[in-house]
Amino acid sequence: MNKLRLGFFKYSCCMGCSYFFAYVHKHVPEVLASFDFVFIKLLSRKGIPEGPFDIALVEGTITEAWQVDELKMIREQSKKLFAVGSCAVIGGIPAIKATTPELEIEKRVYKNLSSIHSIKPHAVDAYVKVDGYIRGCPPAERDLYEALTSVLTGRKPDFPQYSVCIECKLKGNLCVLIADNMPCMGPVTNAGCGALCPSMNRACYSCFGPMKQANAPALAKKFKAMGISRDDIIRKFTEFGADTIEFRKAVETVYED
Amino acid sequence: MNPLRPLTARIEDIKTEAEGVKTYTLSTKFPFRAEPGQFNMVGYPGVGEAPISLSAIMQDGSFKHTIKSVGRVTDFLKDFKKGDELFFRGPYGRGWPVKKAEKKDILIIAGGVGLAPLRPVIQTVLAQRESFGDVSLIYGARDEKNMLFMNEFNEWAEKTAVYLTVDEAVQPDRWKHHIGLVTDLIDRVKIKPERAIAFVCGPEIMMRFICRGLIIHGMSQSSLYVSLERRMKCGIAQCGHCQHSGLFVCKDGPVFSYKEVRGLPDGVL
Amino acid sequence: MTGERTFQKFKRLIPKKAFLLWLDSLKKDYKLIGPVKTGNHAVFKEVDSSEELFMEYGTTMLSPGKLFLYKPNEELFRFAMNGKITIDEIAPIAEKQVIVGVHPCDVNAILYLDRIFLRTFKDTHYEARRKNTVIISLNCARVSENCFCSSVGAGPFLHAASGYDMLLTDFENEYLVEIKSREAEELFGLEGRVAGRDEMRVKAEKEKSMQGKFTKTINVSGLDNIFAENMEHPVWQQTAEEKCLSCANCVMVCPTCFCYDLRDEMSMDLKTVTRYRCFDACQDIRFAEVHGGNFRQRRAARLRQFVTHKLDQTNQYGVSATVGCGRCITWCPTGIDLTEITKEIQRYEPA
Repeated sequence: MNKLRLGFFKYSCCMGCSYFFAYVHKHVPEVLASFDFVFIKLLSRKGIPEGPFDIALVEGTITEAWQVDELKMIREQSKKLFAVGSCAVIGGIPAIKATTPELEIEKRVYKNLSSIHSIKPHAVDAYVKVDGYIRGCPPAERDLYEALTSVLTGRKPDFPQYSVCIECKLKGNLCVLIADNMPCMGPVTNAGCGALCPSMNRACYSCFGPMKQANAPALAKKFKAMGISRDDIIRKFTEFGADTIEFRKAVETVYED
Repeated sequence: MNPLRPLTARIEDIKTEAEGVKTYTLSTKFPFRAEPGQFNMVGYPGVGEAPISLSAIMQDGSFKHTIKSVGRVTDFLKDFKKGDELFFRGPYGRGWPVKKAEKKDILIIAGGVGLAPLRPVIQTVLAQRESFGDVSLIYGARDEKNMLFMNEFNEWAEKTAVYLTVDEAVQPDRWKHHIGLVTDLIDRVKIKPERAIAFVCGPEIMMRFICRGLIIHGMSQSSLYVSLERRMKCGIAQCGHCQHSGLFVCKDGPVFSYKEVRGLPDGVL
Repeated sequence: MTGERTFQKFKRLIPKKAFLLWLDSLKKDYKLIGPVKTGNHAVFKEVDSSEELFMEYGTTMLSPGKLFLYKPNEELFRFAMNGKITIDEIAPIAEKQVIVGVHPCDVNAILYLDRIFLRTFKDTHYEARRKNTVIISLNCARVSENCFCSSVGAGPFLHAASGYDMLLTDFENEYLVEIKSREAEELFGLEGRVAGRDEMRVKAEKEKSMQGKFTKTINVSGLDNIFAENMEHPVWQQTAEEKCLSCANCVMVCPTCFCYDLRDEMSMDLKTVTRYRCFDACQDIRFAEVHGGNFRQRRAARLRQFVTHKLDQTNQYGVSATVGCGRCITWCPTGIDLTEITKEIQRYEPA
């Protein structure tokens, strides 16, 4: 079987997804056996970003105009394009600045703004059609394999769209939100991590971002009733999901109160 | 044996029916028997399973599924070739009450791919034509391209009355039938409410208006039958996905009398 | 055939210590499972010795039935994908196990699960485990904050005639042991003191005093009609907007929620597909999705599905699906209370 041509593209992010993809996950040899890494910026022999690609994996938030142009070009050259990691899927950490005017942010960070051309941070799907979302920070291993095997076998991929609570209960964890009164984001967060933090007796901090139609304002109200400060609640909903409709609603609710 | 264990079936023939719709003729090692209106869970390892109603049950033990490629499973099946194997379990559910329809006038009303689960009824009627009274088929689709079983209508029309309609004709000059909604055509059939029974399948909103139309024509709620669509995972009343109020569509249906399902929450009937 | 049902007459008082020692003696043939204290809570898990048991527990988050009989995750088939596909059916693994200290609500929940998995189509895994499980129920001696079993006839004392093996009632230093199955009769070797009419009167008094301790109640009469007529009652939309998170905690902790999903996982080398079954929840937005639509797109519709399935829809299995354990209330992050929703609707109902 001919190997499929794979490109891994990186925009504003920590490059952790590339690192995870190239070195960390359990089935690196199997992935190498099925895919030809035409381009990965992270590796020393990174290749040439020249299409066509059978599969393009894109990590990072789109925060500069040139990235939009390149992304659109990649989309045209790729049969399937997946957003990888929270930055590409929902905006992630770089989108923390989404709630503040761009110029104000630039001024806070840089003395000389002449070479800065940032735009409002957005997820990849704000600009191009995406064939699937491999959520997480780092990305969910199972979802990564689902995306790759779906391309290899020609089927539509299937990613979970329910809450972390479902995974957490499947594991039999005692609920940290109710039993230990921890401000857990699990009820409004998309599953995929296998309830990693609650399994370690820590509250979920929503690195996978909101689940579809999540009722974040109701959870924000619950946090308030638990005695969490307004600023802390806002931080919880803007750490990864500042650019998402679901979590924005929660932040608005907190401001209104 | 685990009741969820799938069997293999060989694809004997594939026929393109309409845009994105194909009919697969399948055979198994054992002759397959089922009632009109029942369904199989059809699938393939890796993509899962989807409930698909039988579009024909053949004398020789083979059977047919007419599948529109829209979901994860059905989209995967579109690339299958003659001779390939796929997996299925079934038949499941309660089908059309064909026995009850004997000696009665039958109205078969379908929209879009909703004709597929009704085709076994038409075939039964054609095979034992003398057992039934007047039989009328009313069938509507978005346009000619989306009509199923186009080349079978002539044969059906020899023994039944066939009324066709499209929402919009692609080639209006060549389309000799009605243009408009399926409900328009009900008025063309002379319905004798006391001896009529109706089998309806299509989008739920269409079935709602058909049933209400037929009730205006004097038919009773218990003489109207509809086939419901739900996303079953098991087909054996366990997984809960098809629960409709207290009913399991997979076990108590998919064919229900209109009386049983009218006005239930989360439905539009 | 005489003596076939002699076990039903077995009602004896056994010192607690002796009873626990007997439990330990079962360890050589059975896995011993029971309530164990962790922090301020109790969980059902396997124990090495009866000393670990915490028989005075109130409630647990997860019910024993959905941990040890109907499992959260179950591998069903493995498909080998080399050329001609072969199916490997995973045989049920059913070690012999004793579950001790199961409260009446949870026994009733298991009897409910039997209706789903042991009828026309028998679930092979559930059936095998059920056959190999000895259920020792324990009548409740305390009422937890959200219990409402007395309102639905599922507790605090167990009245089911069969479907479990033994029933214990706390008599201070002794257990009143009632044998409910042939298997338990054969297993149980202790003689103890025969419980006569006096002891049974004490038991009835204990039950009566428990009945008075419930703070949460629900009036189940006529619920089927009241729900059916109030499907668009404002309480659904209001609760869905203000409280419901669609997180599905209610469903996951419910001892009678039986819905599952079948999922396929393909190995990265494409050689194996594993089909497994895991709990699913009607609160998941995709639960009632079909091509081109979703029968429960609205959060209010999903919330209503859960509540009505528990309290209404007795036509499904002839019994109400709630056992009054109150778990869905306790473990709801925003404290949605199905008894309150019901009262809200009943209040609305013109007399």
